[in-house]
Formats: sequence, structure tokens, C-alpha cells
Amino acid sequence: MTKLLVIGLDCATPQLVFDSWLDELPNLKSLVESGIHGKLRSTVPPITVPAWTAMMTSQDPGMLGFYGFRNRKSYGYDDLYFANANYVKAKTVWNHLSRNRMSSLVFGVPQTYPPKPLNGVLVACFLTPNKDVQYTYPDEIKAELDKAADGDYIIDVDDFRTDDKQKLLESIYVMSRRRFKAFRHFLTKGNYDFAMMVEMGIDRIHHGFWRYFDEAHRLYEPGNPFENSIKDYYKDIDREIGETLKVISPDTSVMVVSDHGAKTMMGAICINEWFQQEGYLTLKEKPSKVMSLKMNMIDWSKTKVWGEGGYYSRIFFNVKGREPEGVIPQEQYEDFRNEIIRKLEAMKDENGKLINNKVFKPEDVYKECNNVPPDLILYPGNLDWRSAGSVGTGTIHIYENDTGPDDANHAEDGIFIWKIPGKKWDNKGNNYSIYDIAPSILKYFGLDIPQEMVGKPII
Amino acid sequence: MLMKGFTIWFTGLSGSGKTTLAREVEEILLERGLKVEVLDADIVRTNLSKGLGFSKEDRDINIRRIGFVCNLLTRNDVVAIAAAISPYKSVRDENRKLIKNYVEVFCKCSIDALTQRDVKGLYAKALKGEIKNFTGVDDPYEEPDNAEVVVDTGKETEEQSVAKIIKTLEILNYIPRVEDANEYSGDEEDEIKARLKDLGYI
Repeated sequence: MTKLLVIGLDCATPQLVFDSWLDELPNLKSLVESGIHGKLRSTVPPITVPAWTAMMTSQDPGMLGFYGFRNRKSYGYDDLYFANANYVKAKTVWNHLSRNRMSSLVFGVPQTYPPKPLNGVLVACFLTPNKDVQYTYPDEIKAELDKAADGDYIIDVDDFRTDDKQKLLESIYVMSRRRFKAFRHFLTKGNYDFAMMVEMGIDRIHHGFWRYFDEAHRLYEPGNPFENSIKDYYKDIDREIGETLKVISPDTSVMVVSDHGAKTMMGAICINEWFQQEGYLTLKEKPSKVMSLKMNMIDWSKTKVWGEGGYYSRIFFNVKGREPEGVIPQEQYEDFRNEIIRKLEAMKDENGKLINNKVFKPEDVYKECNNVPPDLILYPGNLDWRSAGSVGTGTIHIYENDTGPDDANHAEDGIFIWKIPGKKWDNKGNNYSIYDIAPSILKYFGLDIPQEMVGKPII
Repeated sequence: MLMKGFTIWFTGLSGSGKTTLAREVEEILLERGLKVEVLDADIVRTNLSKGLGFSKEDRDINIRRIGFVCNLLTRNDVVAIAAAISPYKSVRDENRKLIKNYVEVFCKCSIDALTQRDVKGLYAKALKGEIKNFTGVDDPYEEPDNAEVVVDTGKETEEQSVAKIIKTLEILNYIPRVEDANEYSGDEEDEIKARLKDLGYI
């Protein structure tokens, strides 16, 4: 089988790539026209971690045992950990390829820090804390990586919550250009069966600049200087993809994927304000200002539920015999959970209109639930809203993000494009699942698909 | 990254887990980017040593042949993994002398445990005298007294035995150590937390 190149564009979203701008993205358009393409349904939740790992292992977050970046290690109130690569126990595509004597170049794929050995080369992802640590495999390529990236490889953009949008925009461009350049250096230097890179810039630009182009965004101002910033950046990424396609052999198969999409963010639901209002959460003292909810602020004897902030919300129950100071009797757990779901689904906006919350029980959406799953997963307004975990806002609905300016939320569908030179497709135009990617790659290389993979091969 | 070659020599009675552990170790080493070849006695006997019987002389020839190939692979920076009963200490020691980087793994398992496990029914037949010259029953097996790793496959899980072998290879500096600490340090966690907060994830 010939080689496979996978280009991952974190957060690249189908309504922009396929519906709006494809004619202005000639390289992506060419791949679309000569292969298959469609929406790629993400994980629940559609978040970078766990989505990329789910894509590369074909296991759902419950099977993987992590449900977001930050997870509960135990049922203690403040016992959280960040799910880095050491928590990934499932085999990734490149693990399988290594075991079958195939080599891989893995570049910036989320949840690959700290780097693990493989048959090939790996540059870890944005979860690398800083450049002083070992973040490549082998370690020796760090200097070469910097050199290939104009002297300074950038793991991720700094100062993201800035009002200096021009500076942020420039940083995103510099990061992406250096990453693509360095990737091409290693791609042409080695002879890899499988090469994959993930560019984070699209996610960063969506969150930083969505309000400037989307007329549906409440802060959109026609004629603003950043009106075309996202489109121009997509065009630049398309150009980088074109440069990358120039350095591979013509018989190399090319896949383009994203882990989730994006959409306008209406505002944020202050989930812990709502729980207080509904009588499920009691603080020891009323906050004098807006602040993050800390576990030591909670009066656990009078608290049944609390929630986390983020692009979705993980909701946790204070269960007797499970949490240290639990109050919900275990025999009432399910009834109570259904009560909370009913109330969340009935949540309204400031105008009294249903906001269309979507609530999931983990066991309904995952094949199994390892480690400590949340009791419920909430998409506020089906992800039209985000979740603000802060307290002291005095209101349920806020329109300025509690953690700084942010214009876009994640959406459930990412993008999928696959060109296999010489292959005629008879299944064009379908929608696909993030879980189908790993088995498709293994099948492409003629390898057996392990039983634990939940997806099905597309080819 | 240049890795030096070495040989992992699995010895032990029939059914003691040599092949299973050899394949597991092979997969882990491949995953770590090493070049690996397994010389399993059953496969070697149908190819490299076709026609040889089970007399002491033939067994010794077979083990010397596997050792010879392991040495060729090792000196070319390939990891050679041999899985063969190799019952006689003297021939094993010949191979140890021949091969510069040599790691012997003794798969220890009692005859009682092997008879109970006896998947192929060989021990039952040997004990009834239906198979002659069966190692450990009516043919000798000389246990190693200087193996680099002893795995008690009658008591340990496969995972434990494999971990013991890999850890030994790391300690002997044949393969790089892979840290398994899950956590970020306090400062690193603060950096990640700040970045994720900046990005709106938490």
C-alpha cells in the first residue's frame, strides 16, 4: 500500500470549508473533487481532548477513561488531573503501525505529550508545558525542529486572551507557517508510511476572531478591520496544504480531518448560579465579586450538584457514600438525575424562550465508562452557549465570557476529506464518524482491525 | 537514533510461555522503533533446522544455529529474540560467549503447573510414556543459574513477566527508559492550566 498523509485542522468546520469558501481553497477543493468528503461527527463532548485520541484509537471517551482535558481522579471534590498522553492506554494508529513494522511521522497531534517511543518521529502537541521539557521523540530532534521552523518552533500561541487582535493574528500565522514548514522538513527527510500533522491555528482563530466575520454574532460590526481574518487564514492554510502536497509522491493518499467544528457563541450559562437558584448548590458565603467556583467555597451539607465551566459542562452530583460529604442517597440517584435533566431541558433564556439544552447520561453515549465519568454532560443551548463555572455573576446568562473574550463555541461536526489516487468511490457525500478514521487507516494499510475499535472502515 | 543490537534468549520447558512472551516483547520493541526479529524454535525447525531430530546432538546443533543467526542480527544492530527450550546449559553458554549483547530470560514453571496447563496434551502423553525424550519428563532440563531475567510464568501474569523483561532491558541500557509518571509537575500543571484557561477549555 502506498503512503498516507493525514492533515488535521483542529476545529475546521464544514459550513466554512465546504459550504462557504471551498472555491477559494483550491487545494482542499481539488482533494474534495478527487476523493470523498463530508461532515465528521465528533465525540461527546466535541473537545480537542478527547476527540483526537478517539479519532486515533477508535475508542470513545468512556472507554478511554477521560472526558475532557481535566478529569476527576477520584470522587474527592478537588482531585483533578489533566489527561496527557500517559493516560492514553489504548493503542493509537501509530502504535498499530509500529507493531507491524511501518513507520510514522506524528506531528502536533493532541494528547501526545509526553512523547512515547514509536517507529518513527514524534513532535508532541500543545499540551507540552514549555520547550524546556522533552517533547519530541527522539529527544535529539529538538534542535533540528527549531532550525526547520525558522529558528523557533512554536507549540501554541501565547497571550491568547488579548485585546491586541493584530498581534494575536500575527502570532497565529507565525505558529502555523513554522509548523507546516518544519513538518515538510521531516516529511521529506524521512520515508514514512504514515505521516500526520495537526495544526491548531484554526481553533485559535475561531475563538479569537469569530465575532468579526459572522453576521449572526451579536458583536459583529460590518466593515471591521478583521472581517476577512478567518477567511484569509483558511486561504493561507490551504496554501500551506498545497505546498505540502507538492513534496509528497503523487501516489500518496491524503486525508484531511478536523476533530470538531465551530459556531457562533451566543453567551454563557452560569451553571453554578443556576444550581444555586434552583436550590441544588449552596455556598458558605455569598461571593462579593465574580470568581471561579472553588470546592472549599461550597457548603457540602446543603449541596447536591455542581458544574464545570468550558465549551460544555460536566455536572457532578454529591452522592452519599461516594463523595466525602455526599447527601444524595444512592437509591435516589437515578430519579434525581432524571429530575436534573428535566430541569436543565426546561431552562430558558432571558426572554423566556427554551434554550434547547442537550443533556447526556455518560452510559447512554459511551460503550463503557472507565475511571470517574461526570454524572451528566450538558451542551448549553446545544452548544450555542458555553458553560460559565464562575459564581457571583448574579445572573444565569452572561454575554461576556467569564474567562476572557471568546467568540465561538465548538460544534459537533468537523470535516473529512479523503483522496486515494486511482480509487473510484461509490459512497460519495456521506457523513462520517470520528471513530471510523482509525479503522479506515488500518484497513488502508491492510492491517486487521482490533475488536475494541468502535468505528467501521470507510473503505 | 542509533540503537545497538542485542539478543533476548528465552529458555524454559515446553509450554512455559516462551513464544507468547517473545511475541509480546517483540511488539513492544517494535513500538519503540527498534528493528526486531523473532527466531521461534518451532518455526526454525521447519526452516533453518529442517530434518534435525530431538537427540542431544541434534538439539545442540539447533541451538547453535539459532545462536549463530542471533549473533549475525545482533552485530547488525537488530534485536534478535530466540524462543527455544534450549535445555543444556553448555550450549546456552556457548551462545552467551558468542553474542556480545546477550540477555537470557528463564521462563520458570514447575512440571506440575505445566501438566495442569498442558494445552496440547503433551505432558500427559509424555508422563504416560507415549512421547519419549520429552524435556523435563524423561529428558533433562538444566535450569540457568545466571539468567538476566527469571519470570515465574506459573505465578506471574503475562503482563507482569513482560514488564519485568522490559524493565531489565531498560536497566541494562539496551533500550531507552520510558517514564510512566502520569502527572505534570506542579509548575508544568500551572502552565497547562493557564493555557487551557486562556483557550476557554476550562
